[in-house]
Amino acid sequence: MLNKITGHEVDRRLLLKGAAAGGLGIAGATMLAGCSSDSGPVSFGVRTVDESPVKQAQAIVDAYTAKTGIEVTPNFTESNAFQNNLSQYLQGTPDDAFQWMAGYRMQFFADQGLLEDVSSVWDEIGDQFSDSYKIASTGSDGKQYFLPQSWYPWGLHFRKSMMAEIGMSPDDIYNWDDFMAALKELKAQGLVPLAAADKGGWEAMGTFDILNARINGYNFHVDLLAGREKWTDDKVKEVFRHWEMLLPYQNTNVLDLEWDGAMQLLLQKQAGFFMNGSWFGGNFLEQSQEDYDDLWIIPFPEINPDNGRDTIDAPLDGIAVAKNGGNPSGGKDFVQFAASIEGVEAQLATGVPLTSANNLQDTSAYDPFQKQQQAVMAEAKYITQFLDRDTRPDFAGPVVGPAFQQWFKDPSSTDSILESLQSQWDALAPL
Amino acid sequence: MSSATAVEKPQAKAKKANRRRTFSKRDRFTLGVFIGVPTFLHVALVWFPAVATIYLSFTYWTGIHIGDIQWAGLANYENIFFNTPIFWDALRVNVIWLVWFGAIATPLGILLAYQIDREIRGSKFYQAAYYLPVVLSLAVIGIIWNFLLRPDGFVNGVLGLEISEAVSFFGDDRYNIWVILTMASWRHIGYIMLLYLAGLKAVDATLREAASIDGATEWQTFRKVVFPAMAPVNIIVIVITIIESLRAFDMIYIIYGSSGGLPILGVLVFQNIAGEGASMKGAAYAVILFLLSIVPIITYLRQQFKEDMK
Repeated sequence: MLNKITGHEVDRRLLLKGAAAGGLGIAGATMLAGCSSDSGPVSFGVRTVDESPVKQAQAIVDAYTAKTGIEVTPNFTESNAFQNNLSQYLQGTPDDAFQWMAGYRMQFFADQGLLEDVSSVWDEIGDQFSDSYKIASTGSDGKQYFLPQSWYPWGLHFRKSMMAEIGMSPDDIYNWDDFMAALKELKAQGLVPLAAADKGGWEAMGTFDILNARINGYNFHVDLLAGREKWTDDKVKEVFRHWEMLLPYQNTNVLDLEWDGAMQLLLQKQAGFFMNGSWFGGNFLEQSQEDYDDLWIIPFPEINPDNGRDTIDAPLDGIAVAKNGGNPSGGKDFVQFAASIEGVEAQLATGVPLTSANNLQDTSAYDPFQKQQQAVMAEAKYITQFLDRDTRPDFAGPVVGPAFQQWFKDPSSTDSILESLQSQWDALAPL
Repeated sequence: MSSATAVEKPQAKAKKANRRRTFSKRDRFTLGVFIGVPTFLHVALVWFPAVATIYLSFTYWTGIHIGDIQWAGLANYENIFFNTPIFWDALRVNVIWLVWFGAIATPLGILLAYQIDREIRGSKFYQAAYYLPVVLSLAVIGIIWNFLLRPDGFVNGVLGLEISEAVSFFGDDRYNIWVILTMASWRHIGYIMLLYLAGLKAVDATLREAASIDGATEWQTFRKVVFPAMAPVNIIVIVITIIESLRAFDMIYIIYGSSGGLPILGVLVFQNIAGEGASMKGAAYAVILFLLSIVPIITYLRQQFKEDMK
């Protein structure tokens, strides 16, 4: 994030841990944990410091306290820092409830016994969610450890006003040739046709995911990330061959921008398309209603007609209960409220757009951009989470991230980079 | 009287000798506490983690349950040396960093110290100006320079460049390492300057006078008289230069996060040991970094002490 530093807050947990390491804190923390009873106060770890999601989290907290009289303390942490500390956080004295992601990333911690089984919450409010969300919330032992709150699709975003000015109708872009023609036209207009970022090491994974799914299909993509297919396969080379065709249409400082830097390109009307998750709609709304209303999304174009546009990255975010939180029953009660329609309504009252995972949300009240997100999602038959949620964490972050960055530096080295990716996969620690 | 003193003296001697040989219980207790507590803390906080890291670098472990630790032999090291190209990239950056510090930043700091020591006009001002960055931590320096040089930062703003056209100070491999080294030197030079200045102040002024009376040039005086007289400070400066270049982490982490934008060993340790991707590959990186720092320092110190013995 460009504004990561300005938005960086001192992690209160870390400070507490520091105090604990200092000595006396250990006794203090244990006593505190011992004191909290079932109806006692609940703490809530929020993995963001951005304006809109902070508002939403605060709204849930306030509504819960208003309803039950139970005090909830939210602790806000910048999301990268939160992720990096999660193992240590969950082993120490974590918040009772905390925001996290579905799928592999949740299962890993559930397997380690660091998450509280929330099957009982699913028994209560499970009918508010679709079955696929239940699967994504289920650990390898068949129990649920997660409650979904919201989702967003990854697709091509653009500003309607800009396209109208040029006389382009992106909704008609269906396949790769259409897309390449559009990029060419945008370039002729003096714009950055496709805004891209990869300073954080993960942003470009979204483009890889969609190219691989479009070219080689959902099954190959999933198998590749699970290690059942090889990175050295010609099919993967084909992905990079297509990616290389996009490079002349991207901004040249891909490695100097994080996702929000690329978003700025779209916001400031310097770029035509932006391949990203729709969550940044909130950032547009922070700018102005006008900017938000101007925002639109279409699915990534078809490349291989066999696959059509049948797959989409649509990560599911939600909330879980930490085993070491000290107040598991309080935490469960809170996550039940947060994920239920009551929590959704509290968030909607803030005016921040929300595509919630809850079936009871009245989607007829969606604004046009949200309805379009739904339409993009509905076109897909298969839903993937995201590369760093669909493969081993010790592979995604430390290996794939730098490999893609290296590829941006030297796209002609595709073969050697893929060989290296495969050999690094093979060298991973056995699970 | 005289006989009395004669008797007293041996008694006093005996007392002194006594005191040296045996300690009272109270003394022993006090000494035990004063030596025992720091020793315990040192072992618990320094030696135990160091030895544990070395052990863990030979295992597979996700860092959560002690029971999950599996012996891996040399697998982590094999993985690093033969399968991880980013390790060699990082090593390259660390070596460039070391060479830059050793050949440019540190000598520059020494030069500045020497100039300021001669009390040229405004030397107090220069001293303060060069020393100022040293009071900032490297993390803060990273933040300051990031504000200046990022795509929507101050410099690109002054140049009137849009984000898409911005000079890619941190993203472009052609100059990002030099930008980073300039940032790091900004602080390192001041640090070395201050250390050296303190040393220079302690050099006996008559040595220099004698040298100039003998007709030595400025350079000869420094080379043959001042520099050898500064041997203890020189050792500190060299050790600090090695350590500072190898342990580099904070500034890079502030600017690039744990991604591979500009790989250095310190970040690789962190990236492989923190977060969900934790594996003991991170411990192996830490051991490699430890050996890289300790071997040249020990070699240098041994050689130095041998010379001193002569």
